[in-house]
Amino acid sequence: MIRRPLRPLARILQARARGENPDAIERENLRLRHEVSRDADRERAESRLFVLGLCFALAFAGVGLRMGVLASTKPSEPRVAQGGAGIVATRAEIQDRRGRILATNLETAALYVHPHELVDPARAARELAKLFPDLDEARMLADFTGPRKFLWLRKVMSPEQQQAVHDIGEPGLLFATREMRLYPNGALAAHVLGGAAFDREDVRAAEIIGTAGVERSFDARLRDPGRANDPLQLSLDLTAQTAMEDVLASGMTLMNAKGAAGVLMDVHTGEVIAIASLPDFDPNARPAPPTKGDPTASPIFNRSVQGVYELGSTFKIFTVAQAMDLGLVNPETMIDTKGPMVKGRHKITDFRNYGPELSVDKVIVKSSNIGTARIALMIGAERQKAFLDLMGLTEATNIEISEARSGKPLLPPRWSDIVTMTVSYGHGFSTTPLHLAAGYAMIANGGTRVEPTLLRRDTPQYGPRVVSAKTAAQSLAMLRHVVTEGTAKVAEVPGYQVAGKTGTADKPKPGGGYYKEKVIATFASVFPADAPRYVLVVTLDEPVNTMGREPTRTAGSTAAPVAAELIRRIAPLLDLKPRIDPVQLDGITLTSN
Amino acid sequence: MSYLEYSVKYTPTGLRKVLYLNWALVILLTAVASVGFLMLYSVAGGRFDPWAAAQMKRFGLSLSVMFVVAMVPIWFWRNLSALAYGVGVTLLVIVDLFGAVRMGAQRWIDLGFINLQPSELMKIALVMFLAAYYDWLPARKTSQPLWVAIPAVVILTPAALVMGQPDLGTAILVATAGGAMMFVAGVHWAYFAAVLTGGVALVSAVFRSRDTDWQLIEDYQFRRIDTFLNPESDPLGAGYHITQGKIAMGSGGWTGKGFMQGTQSRLNFLPEKHTDFIFNTLAEEFGFIGAFSLLTLYALIIVFCIVAAIQMKDRFSQLLTIGVAMNFFLFFSVNMAMVMGLAPVVGVPLPLVSYGGSAMLILMIGFGMVQSANIHRPR
Repeated sequence: MIRRPLRPLARILQARARGENPDAIERENLRLRHEVSRDADRERAESRLFVLGLCFALAFAGVGLRMGVLASTKPSEPRVAQGGAGIVATRAEIQDRRGRILATNLETAALYVHPHELVDPARAARELAKLFPDLDEARMLADFTGPRKFLWLRKVMSPEQQQAVHDIGEPGLLFATREMRLYPNGALAAHVLGGAAFDREDVRAAEIIGTAGVERSFDARLRDPGRANDPLQLSLDLTAQTAMEDVLASGMTLMNAKGAAGVLMDVHTGEVIAIASLPDFDPNARPAPPTKGDPTASPIFNRSVQGVYELGSTFKIFTVAQAMDLGLVNPETMIDTKGPMVKGRHKITDFRNYGPELSVDKVIVKSSNIGTARIALMIGAERQKAFLDLMGLTEATNIEISEARSGKPLLPPRWSDIVTMTVSYGHGFSTTPLHLAAGYAMIANGGTRVEPTLLRRDTPQYGPRVVSAKTAAQSLAMLRHVVTEGTAKVAEVPGYQVAGKTGTADKPKPGGGYYKEKVIATFASVFPADAPRYVLVVTLDEPVNTMGREPTRTAGSTAAPVAAELIRRIAPLLDLKPRIDPVQLDGITLTSN
Repeated sequence: MSYLEYSVKYTPTGLRKVLYLNWALVILLTAVASVGFLMLYSVAGGRFDPWAAAQMKRFGLSLSVMFVVAMVPIWFWRNLSALAYGVGVTLLVIVDLFGAVRMGAQRWIDLGFINLQPSELMKIALVMFLAAYYDWLPARKTSQPLWVAIPAVVILTPAALVMGQPDLGTAILVATAGGAMMFVAGVHWAYFAAVLTGGVALVSAVFRSRDTDWQLIEDYQFRRIDTFLNPESDPLGAGYHITQGKIAMGSGGWTGKGFMQGTQSRLNFLPEKHTDFIFNTLAEEFGFIGAFSLLTLYALIIVFCIVAAIQMKDRFSQLLTIGVAMNFFLFFSVNMAMVMGLAPVVGVPLPLVSYGGSAMLILMIGFGMVQSANIHRPR
């Protein structure tokens, strides 16, 4: 940089020569120097201003452009479904075998609060408490005025309630649209359906998960978005189910029982047409599992697939069928039934003394414990256990109800001779009523095993053969005799040829031993006996028939009449035509003239 | 006498000053304020109460204050700047202390006729003080570290006090305006480059540390930053303002729904419709044309200030004008960007349009000084 000297000697000297003040020259030069530096400053300031102006221009352009973009976009409300955070809110329907709805979805609204947006929290709490008596006003007010920014008040509301909340007019009370599970038939088939509850939820959607029954066992399939429009079809028949629950409920009242279970099953396909357990509940408001007391007394306990009971004499037919299949006996073989039969410390007696000996057929018809026990001794423990295994009576059923896995039969710990004898007539061995139905279906369908299922299927199951067709036919004939001339005469339904077997078992005491006055009464039946289609098992818990002169507890006077009423009601619903046998015209000779 | 030797120093005096007042700026400011009256009238449902009438009174008062300030010679204001800065900082400290006592954010001081927000006073006081500082500082010292550190402290002290109120938005904008003044004053590029690089590095380090074992801040702080940066991820919660604001702008389209026809504000979907989000109402009712016209008015005011700054010989006047313009610019651009979803919601009002007294008064005092600098510049 070339600096201009402040006192250039030549000019100073000239000025002195002229007699001027040389300081003026210095001032002049100083001013010029300042001007130069100020110009440099100004230049720099201007370049800085230019950069700043550029920033301004960019910002203006950005804001203006954004205005244009916004002005040209269609406004759209934030969508409820949009970005639902992976919450899938559609659940497939459940239908019965004829396509009638058992479970469906209903759009409803949940109520939540943004306390900071409430205009008048006190009024909001007061009005809400008026609408929903289960909400506590003081607690709500504390929540509304507290530091929380969000809280749920109700998971579901009726449209009327929603309107009433809307009418409060509080901007801080907000609705979250969602679907809820609805069981339009109320308590019908409650134990099969189970129940559903909200899982993950937010203000855009709520996820429904099955908590029990088929809702739980088919949860993944019901939630599969790809199959949301593909209803799950069960094997249940809504009308048969209605009839069963109806008749069981009145039968339970009539017989003073504290519980009842019923299973109606197709003997060929294994489809469960109706299955009930009483007392029941409404799956729309499934009760919580009891935390104390007897869990098997709770309404949510499923007696037909979870409850394991000693099902008594109904088991005798299995013993006899096995013995016949092994060729040990035939229906006419005479069995020693002298009582009491003493084995070690145990004494086996019959309900009544049936004389010194009975044919195998009569052992079943009269339901002789002694006779069955003697047959079981012929079979032996090994073969008896193997046979029960083959029938599937020693494991939990595979039915598609999530609770069924806990319905595991209680086996005797050691398979001694005395156990073999008691098991042969259904004591010391507990299974669910559904197990029994499957066993009877085996006999009714000609000797092949069937797995009970709740899914609709149209083809018979061809399970492993358990007994020969001949044995099955002979066993069925014996069961038919039980109804025509034995312990279950009351179970005959004209036109439907009922075959079946009663079973009355004393209830075990929790500490050991048996109650004298408390029984499980079971009637397992097959109809129509000449071309079996269905098996029906009815079990009553602690029934007492007080209609006669003396109170009776035997299955023949408690479970059997209920089962008969059920068959009378249900058989026509299942399109079974009653067939009345022509009266045998004995002693009349047909002639032609 | 040729124009090269023309060096008459003339400064208007007395009533002549009125002639030299920049009337174009006055008209522009009045036009912007009138847009505000219109919108406040509209959001009140076609009534002057409760906002429009009060706003008009305040604007009248502020306008007279601006005239008075403009008549006072600019050197008087320069001599006052250190005092103004001192008073501003003191008031901020007082308010911070009282805020601690009176639980919550106490940002106001009641002056009787108007509620003064010390952070508003600080905006103009900081601009004055920085302009005076660089007027006093010899140009060659501008970029020396010590003389850079002093204005940095001068800027950061009130910014920190404002942040403690807590008012993060205003704090950031005050600091940015101060930084811009340092930039225009000629502080070396390297300082700004260093601050920018450091800031970017710090922010990126914080974000890089996410989900690593040397994470610098807590998870919940990250989540807050997420909602802060992208409020639309939660359209009914934190993003509610923005969502409804954008619906208002979009439904306005190009020409708007017409005066008093905006449903978003009428039906109370828009929060703070008379303060921070008043621009949405404008956009809904007058569409792109209305919104862009307001933007243009703002731009013209800025252009006037820059042109005036270039013409001024005096460094204080120049920097003061730029500082006032910068503050004005930052507030309206951040507000517009915010309500249109371009910037995080920081609670910055739209200058002259949003309902509010002290911001308007301070702004008009600032423009009064700009006018004063313009009147009293040597011609």
